[in-house]
Amino acid sequence: MTLAFFTISALDLLSSLVPNTTPEERAAYIDWIYSCQIPSGGFRASPSHDLSAVKDGSAQWDPANVPATYFALATLLILGDDLNRVRRKETLKWLRCMQRDDGSFGETLVNGKIEGGMDTRFGYCATCVRYILRGKREGRDPTSEEQDIDVDALVECLRKAETYDGGMSEMPFHEAHAGFTYCAIAALHFIDRFPWPICSQPSEGQRAFNKMPLRKEDIVSTTSSEQQGGRKTCGLTSPNLTIHWLASRLTATISIEDEEDTYADETDTPETCHDAHSFVHTANFPTSMGETSEKSRPSSHFALDWVGFNGRCNKVADTCYAFWVGAGLTLMNASRVVHPTPVRRYLLEQTAHIVGGFGKLPGDPPDVYHSYLGLAALSLLETAAQAAHESPREGLRKPMEERELKALDACMCVSIEAKSRLYAIWQRWGVHDGKDRDGGG
Amino acid sequence: MGKHDDDPAWSDITPLPTSEGGPNPLAAIAYTEEYEDTMSYLRAVMASNGFSPRVLDLTEDLIDMNPAHYTVWLYRAQCLFALNSDLHVELERLNETALAHQKNYQIWHHRNLIVDKLDKCEGEQGFVQRMFVKDAKNYHVWCYRQWLVKRFGLWEKGELDFTEEMLREDIRNNSAWNHWWFVVNGREAEGVAGVTDPDSRAREINFTKDAIAKAPQNQSPWNYLRGIARKSGISLAHLKSFAEQHASLDRPGAVKSSFALDLLADILGKRRVATSKLVGRMICWR
Ligand SMILES: [Zn+2]
Repeated sequence: MTLAFFTISALDLLSSLVPNTTPEERAAYIDWIYSCQIPSGGFRASPSHDLSAVKDGSAQWDPANVPATYFALATLLILGDDLNRVRRKETLKWLRCMQRDDGSFGETLVNGKIEGGMDTRFGYCATCVRYILRGKREGRDPTSEEQDIDVDALVECLRKAETYDGGMSEMPFHEAHAGFTYCAIAALHFIDRFPWPICSQPSEGQRAFNKMPLRKEDIVSTTSSEQQGGRKTCGLTSPNLTIHWLASRLTATISIEDEEDTYADETDTPETCHDAHSFVHTANFPTSMGETSEKSRPSSHFALDWVGFNGRCNKVADTCYAFWVGAGLTLMNASRVVHPTPVRRYLLEQTAHIVGGFGKLPGDPPDVYHSYLGLAALSLLETAAQAAHESPREGLRKPMEERELKALDACMCVSIEAKSRLYAIWQRWGVHDGKDRDGGG
Repeated sequence: MGKHDDDPAWSDITPLPTSEGGPNPLAAIAYTEEYEDTMSYLRAVMASNGFSPRVLDLTEDLIDMNPAHYTVWLYRAQCLFALNSDLHVELERLNETALAHQKNYQIWHHRNLIVDKLDKCEGEQGFVQRMFVKDAKNYHVWCYRQWLVKRFGLWEKGELDFTEEMLREDIRNNSAWNHWWFVVNGREAEGVAGVTDPDSRAREINFTKDAIAKAPQNQSPWNYLRGIARKSGISLAHLKSFAEQHASLDRPGAVKSSFALDLLADILGKRRVATSKLVGRMICWR
């Protein structure tokens, strides 16, 4: 299911899905995804887990899987499916069973036990599934008559996993990690507990949705929840520090050799030191080796041509973190703190592979995961460059052959076009999402 | 014909082959014939919830071929417990798998289940150290180390010495810095104060400042220092003179650390604007 999502969504971002597939093929893809749906709710990770042909007590080894369910629903949206065959009520019921008492989500339910360890990626996928199936509003969902997940417990769990340096992890005291930080921020958006509203241009589908008249019960429920709870707990205790942590993931250390050098020489020279800046002067050199390498360093102009993102402090840059960090900053309304051009050059000139796609590090063979996230990151950077009134191709040395990418929804990690199809589906289901009317999402 | 089809030990089992879900499977994975064959037998066994030594062998084969299949790991753990297998033997086997597959999460989850069941952690710290020789920043291994410390109460059994040694090897190892924070502050729920205790705080601040003096352009200790201040409610202004030692605003040519400059920007106020401007400047610097 993961592979299916990355492949289909990448084609969509490149505007290659419709020209390169027939309607019959797309319909068959949709059927394949539905064949992975579990009758009691959710989707399985792959048909190879399918035990549905066997009747007796084996269903426990053929469980629905939280990430697979997110990938399945997102891929269906991209393929233009109307989600009519989704077992919405069952999936929402199953989703509640995937939440632990401490608020976190697991991956699967086996033998009545929630498996999959602590991992905010599951929280992200679960809140996205909830968002697709019933919008942001809290409490019992009037359209499916299903109860809600425990939103407060989830927020509490995410807050506890904040680290001393402003990043986030998957569990208290684990090291801050950009993937987990993004997942937590995006999950807070999906459950409408983000510290501040995000401003973005509402898409066409969303504008049409916003014009729908509010039903009486929606108005009542909004007012009463405000009266009861006052301000709800928001995620992120120090949003500015989180922005600071995300911005600090920028690094000029983009190949593994740079990193390995630190083992031999702990002095601060541009070669041995991560994130050296051109204005940092090393006053003294504990070793002569350090002094020699300082003299041989390339000019700062050259050194900052390519800038990538790492996933943790003092690690080498990696293609996928251009998405995790870039999207995190976008969702924090802070993409302006990053100058897009050196990052785009890093992706296009360093980790993009000659046969197509992206690898993890410069020179690495491309893989589906890094290729998709590389594209997703480029799409966000294109949007950021446009917002900063920069020509999209400014500073890019290579003649660019690739067409413009579709704009990405940083929260759902699909094209805004694909996400917008949700509004018509919600309309059909009768889902009203008061909060989305402000233009966020 | 797969290798199990001719094996009399498996003659009572009808394999359940994979269905890839219709004529247009999206991203059908090309598994090897051997994997497909073995998996079809395991699927058949799982369908009847069978636990036996031969099933253990089957899961072992599958894990060797594809260590990322999470249901196979879960089934193996269930099987081991159901058969009362010798868990020490299982740990030995896991050592090899873990060393061969550094990035695999399932192995560590499985190890966690086994060691928890054993209720003993002899040899575990040593094994973790062997893993760190290969990759001193392996996320799963550091998480597992935290679990060991918590589960078996190893807080004062050489954990700080071990972490200090890791930092001596690489002062930029942020995973080790994070572990240090965990060992110092991880027992507040049990009533053991961390940096909120003045003595402990003084020791931590000195330790961090020494590390910064060794390599000023190192983000980890600067973050650590800010973390101490935030956690214990001390104003960052107390760090002003220290930051100025590494980034003098009067002599722009003598900036030894961009993180010192960053800290000064925060101290000098207009926090949000100043920080983002500064970050912007660092990135655009040409
Ligand atoms: Zn990566």
